[in-house]
Amino acid sequence: MSLETLDSGQEHIASAISDEVVIELSKVNKWYGEFHVLKDIDLTVYKGERIVICGPSGSGKSTLIRCINRLEEHQQGDILVNGVTMDTNLKNIDAIRRDVGMVFQSFNLFPHLTVLENCTLAPIWVRNTPKAEADRLAMQLLERVKIPEQAAKYPGQLSGGQQQRVAIARSLAMNPNIMLFDEPTSALDPEMISEVLDVMVGLAESGMTMLVVTHEMGFAKRVADRVIFMDQGEIVEQNTPGEFFNNPKSDRTKLFLSQILAH
Amino acid sequence: MAVLEKGSPRRQSRSIIEWLNDERVRSVLYQAIVAIAVIAVARYLFVNTSENLQARGMSSGFDFLSGTAGFSIAWTVLPYEAGDSYFRVYLVGIVNTLIVSLVAIVFATLLGFIMGIMRLSKNWLISKIAAWYVEILRNTPLLLQILFWFLAVFSLLPPPRGSFGLLDMFFLNNRGFYMPAPVPGAGFDYTMIAILLAIAATYAVAVWAKKRQMATGQQFHTFWVGLGILFGLPILVFLATGSPLSFDFAALKGFNFQGGVSVPPAFCALLLALMIYHSAFMAEAVRAGILSVSHGQTEAAYSLGLRPGMTLRLVIIPQAMRAVVPPMISNWMNVVKNSSLAIAIGYPDLVAVYMQTSLNQSGHAIEIVAMVMLFYMSVSLTISMALNYYNKLVQLKER
Amino acid sequence: MAETTQDDVVFRPKPSLPPPPNTVGVVGWLRKNLFGGPFDSLLTIVGVSLIAYVAYSLYQYGIANAVWEADTYRECLDVTKGNGACWAGVSTWMNGYMYGRYPDVEQWRVNLAGVVLAVWLAPFWFPKIKAKILVGMSAVLTFPFLAAHLFLGGEAGLFLQVMVAVAMTLFATVWLNVGASYLGYPSLRVALLRLSGFENKGDHLHKYVLLGAFGVGFVIAFAYQSTWELAAVPTQNWGGLFLTLVISGIGISSALPSGIILALGRRSKMPVIRVFCTAFIELFRSVPLITILFMAVTMMPLFLPVEINPDKLVLVIVAVCIFAAAYMAEIVRGGLQAINKGQYEAAQAMGLNYWKMMTLIIMPQALKVMIPNIVGNFIGLLKDTTLVSIIGLYDILLMAKASGQDGKWLGMHTEPFLFTAAVFFVVCFCMSKYSQHLERTIGGGYGRR
Ligand SMILES: Nc1ncnc2c1ncn2[C@@H]1O[C@H](COP(=O)(O)OP(=O)(O)OP(=O)(O)O)[C@@H](O)[C@H]1O
Ligand SMILES: [Mg+2]
Repeated sequence: MSLETLDSGQEHIASAISDEVVIELSKVNKWYGEFHVLKDIDLTVYKGERIVICGPSGSGKSTLIRCINRLEEHQQGDILVNGVTMDTNLKNIDAIRRDVGMVFQSFNLFPHLTVLENCTLAPIWVRNTPKAEADRLAMQLLERVKIPEQAAKYPGQLSGGQQQRVAIARSLAMNPNIMLFDEPTSALDPEMISEVLDVMVGLAESGMTMLVVTHEMGFAKRVADRVIFMDQGEIVEQNTPGEFFNNPKSDRTKLFLSQILAH
Repeated sequence: MAVLEKGSPRRQSRSIIEWLNDERVRSVLYQAIVAIAVIAVARYLFVNTSENLQARGMSSGFDFLSGTAGFSIAWTVLPYEAGDSYFRVYLVGIVNTLIVSLVAIVFATLLGFIMGIMRLSKNWLISKIAAWYVEILRNTPLLLQILFWFLAVFSLLPPPRGSFGLLDMFFLNNRGFYMPAPVPGAGFDYTMIAILLAIAATYAVAVWAKKRQMATGQQFHTFWVGLGILFGLPILVFLATGSPLSFDFAALKGFNFQGGVSVPPAFCALLLALMIYHSAFMAEAVRAGILSVSHGQTEAAYSLGLRPGMTLRLVIIPQAMRAVVPPMISNWMNVVKNSSLAIAIGYPDLVAVYMQTSLNQSGHAIEIVAMVMLFYMSVSLTISMALNYYNKLVQLKER
Repeated sequence: MAETTQDDVVFRPKPSLPPPPNTVGVVGWLRKNLFGGPFDSLLTIVGVSLIAYVAYSLYQYGIANAVWEADTYRECLDVTKGNGACWAGVSTWMNGYMYGRYPDVEQWRVNLAGVVLAVWLAPFWFPKIKAKILVGMSAVLTFPFLAAHLFLGGEAGLFLQVMVAVAMTLFATVWLNVGASYLGYPSLRVALLRLSGFENKGDHLHKYVLLGAFGVGFVIAFAYQSTWELAAVPTQNWGGLFLTLVISGIGISSALPSGIILALGRRSKMPVIRVFCTAFIELFRSVPLITILFMAVTMMPLFLPVEINPDKLVLVIVAVCIFAAAYMAEIVRGGLQAINKGQYEAAQAMGLNYWKMMTLIIMPQALKVMIPNIVGNFIGLLKDTTLVSIIGLYDILLMAKASGQDGKWLGMHTEPFLFTAAVFFVVCFCMSKYSQHLERTIGGGYGRR
């Protein structure tokens, strides 16, 4: 993918960043056994901000965003989400997970439930929403991701791109104020990538706070307010997409960009 | 090709080979050969058998079923006396087989679930203990385990005078296991009705709770309330009608226990062995089933805010069940089949009373073997039909 | 873009720090795996006490209070007061547990056959040996005759003598092949041709040379075996672990080929064949083994001509083989179903006929998928062989039971059963671990399905 095609005719989406902090990481350290995956991560995310995280494989991108909804446990440092401290208190974890949605690389839809049921499961059982209302909301979201006609099917009957859009709708059904995306398009064929990215752009336009791990640099240019580059468990550089792509500061970033844009 | 060869002189001579090379002709030919071979073997066996029967002066046919079986059976569920017919023996054997299998299935399944979940425990020690339990039991023969329980445990128990007792109600000694027999008094019918009502009420509550949740979103503690109704209502009715149930306690009279319900040591040994042996296999089925649900499912559920308990109930268990139920059901079938090892310790199951004792006495080998096989085959057929039905029911829809 | 300039910030990764001490090492492991929380800790304590209790009781029973030398079970009981094992009885009976009533002076024949089989199959694990299938096939097809002659003894018929000689020749061939491979020849065939000087003469002569060599070997073997004088040992005297292994060995080695045939029959497009195979499989899978054994000993004699009075052991072996074949057929069918339909189509598109497609493309893949189930089935069969004790064959289990019913050792039940259980456990556990190993190593070439 080259920068030219991405630049052509696509404006950067206006952002509506407020100065309210929704995620704050300070001095976060994490180890897998002896292996130091996250080193002294400091990160502040404001409401409405759209952040793209990139970096070479194994640099700890997934680990970082999975710490934000406690799919992984960090060992040192503080994580604050919507003002709630992430600790071993189950109430806090519940509160954070209710407000943070996540989309996985491998979709992780529930294969035994229909598309609609996938989207209504959490509203019904976590938010105590009446079924009729949950169904209505889910249908709205499915319309928003442009697959209302698939509602009665099972995930196994959909294409990858459709599945990923269901996964986005499923997360949105909990009405989160932060969305995490872990390489949402890397398991997809090229045509399907754009259907999913379109949905994500739409989400960005609506002012959602988003943290997106992706290698889709076009998406980063168009949507991100800030691009974060990680390597070996630390944040090497962060900047606006314009500065990041055109005027990288670090030699490591330059190397990475040259490799990723080489073909 | 065909055009070129038309009318050529060699066509005639090759045609039979060509004909043999035809796929359909070959297929018919093979099948005919197999069918003829099978029929020939069957005829050979039939001729031999009738000669043999003649030589031994034996009749064939099912007339013997109404003849009296002159032997007694040590322990039966159906009433039976030495003068009853062979057909009665067949039924008695079937019921004895089914009763021990059913009890073993219930306990083995419970134990299997417990061991399977222990095997998956995050606690290393607990999971290792469960792993060794499974390995040791799976890798030693069932028959050995049955003989062990019978000869080295239940036969070495003290005589009735020195029985192990629990609360003066349950006794265990070398004559068997004794427990109180319930004797319903007048008015106990009300309690029975209350039990049925409680079941219906629990069901109604569950339906209502579901409906209300769908309508208003409010959740209801169906499980606890249901438990309360199921136990509370019958107990209340039971007490209100003046506790019309007495127990016939087993008690030591002279050298032996009288009264109560009792099962012989062979039953205990067989039950215990079947239950423990098969629980190991079931534990593996449970473990594999739960592991077959990918970790991503748990993560997705967590990221939606579902608590671990709900994740288990709404996401993991429904998927794991698809993988657990089929091997579980075939294990149940194995319990029924393996209960036939009863014969080694003298528990009067179908094989022991019918295929051994009755066969030796009446000599009707073919009929008896066929009847016994018929029983096991119908059990197996029923079970596999149930399994197919279940599989159809839960099959995941895929592209 | 990639060129670096002077004013670049050079990225220097922060050094990796060691993790907080309570999350790694022994302490971390303990916290994670044993003391994750109050409930976890409680479980651990319960588990440790359970293990300690079991280990202590076993130690007390099996070692501390055990009696190793005594002449009767009474003597043991006088010492142990019932709190310890009487291993003296087990060691007295050991010969019985192993060989049943096989005469002491003839037991070398059983041992010899065992050694021969082990040596025969050993090249299976030699990395340099190719044609491992042939090694296995030669053993499976001809070893039983050699073993039968050794075990039974007495006058052997001409057919058995010929087969014994063939077996010995093949055994020699396998090991000469090993020798040739390790001496640097590609195979025994090439070695023979080279040494005899026929390598460069016409190809059509090669097969005569090889046949000739085989013929010479055969004649020598035949002459040698006709000098044997083995005392006859009737099958009634066979017993113990030896008998268990004979029955299960035959069952196991016949199960795979007959199971494959039945499974192919069941998947066949020809209705008659399919119906027969399905009926056979379903019939014998749905009834317990003990009923098949009873059928074999009570009904089979009725089926055969009056003048034939078959040996009970033969009947039992036939029953076990039928049973094993039916079970194996379902395993093979499962394996065949796991093979992608595309493989069949690709093979047919290449112009392979049915048997070539099966032997070259489908079966090799299917067998790999099936290994765990096949070994599981073997283990099951080995355990199920104990059922022959119910119809009165003195296998290891019946010997164990009998040893506690004998005058001198009356009442000794626990010890023989523990010993037998240990024998079965070791054999079955090793088999299952080996199959897991195979699954990992053989499966290596394939991606996960
Ligand atoms: N559960 C785990 N146990 C041990 N090591 C892990 C675990 N998960 C990840 N790692 C290691 O941590 C490092 C960072 O992993 P992470 O998944 O965060 O990388 P990533 O940046 O997302 O890479 P990718 O682009 O390939 O997804 C990797 O080196 C990985 O091997
Ligand atoms: Mg990743």
